Amino acid sequence: MILGFCLAIGATFFFGYRAGRTARHVRWQDEPIQSWMSVPYVAHTHHTRSELLFQAIHLPPNPRDRRPIREIARAEKLPVAELIRDLRKAIENANPPGSEGIPPSRKAP
Amino acid sequence: MLDQLLAALTQYGSPALFVVVAIAAIGVPVPVTLLLIVTGSLAAQGSINLWWAIAIASVGSVAGDQIGFAIGRWGGKKLVAKFSRMLGDAERIKKLDAKAKSWGGAGVFFSRWLVTPLGPWINLASGAADYSWFRFTLWDILGESFGAALFIWLGHVFSDRVQEVGAIFGDLTWAIVGVLAAAFLGWKLFSGRGPAAKQTHA
Repeated sequence: MILGFCLAIGATFFFGYRAGRTARHVRWQDEPIQSWMSVPYVAHTHHTRSELLFQAIHLPPNPRDRRPIREIARAEKLPVAELIRDLRKAIENANPPGSEGIPPSRKAP
Repeated sequence: MLDQLLAALTQYGSPALFVVVAIAAIGVPVPVTLLLIVTGSLAAQGSINLWWAIAIASVGSVAGDQIGFAIGRWGGKKLVAKFSRMLGDAERIKKLDAKAKSWGGAGVFFSRWLVTPLGPWINLASGAADYSWFRFTLWDILGESFGAALFIWLGHVFSDRVQEVGAIFGDLTWAIVGVLAAAFLGWKLFSGRGPAAKQTHA
């Protein structure tokens, strides 16, 4: 029981510290692109227009295409990592380092 | 598995949300908080209606909770023991059995959204401990609706930061579970109710 008590206190500090650390960095990190995300989802989290991202991976722009990146990779017979790399490159070109991401609605028409 | 669930949620929307929250409520370990936050983000993007998502998440969770409660109530003690062994901890269900009646509505309400890892155990224990179905359902609906609204709204507000927000809340939930466990074990240790304290007194 003493061990359990110590473990519980340890877990409290560990998870509390980790939550605090994540909260401190939350504004400074870009959301990592994951294989479960759809292209419009990635566009939203990176404040970029989805059309740009669809073009970057050589697909016709379709904001209603909710297929996850892994599904697109399977259909296009491409590795997921390659698609993610292309998307990241397109985002970097659209939002160069040092510039603030602009919500899609405020972008130029 | 998490990636597949999130992919299903992104692609299929509310039907996937309903199934995932229901199986999470039954006891399958799924990071449902993160899924609700992602749902909020999808609502912010217009993929799913915000209120519809809250309703679906609430109904799915309550349906899963009712299955857990029914297993506890109608499955009998043997089935409860088997189910809890299958999930990896037969002892916890025995302890919660006694706690279910004493905690009552507050236990049901807070385990729906604040200490979610305890939720499936409270469902089983409430059913097995003959806790009133009406009261269980009332607190269950209140807790699940509140939890779904809270996390989906958070995802809606922080729609471009869901992974970080999900990680923060996941860690905070476990920190709260740690505080509760430390408080419970500390109380047992220092009030002379636990075996270690009894040995000290002897």
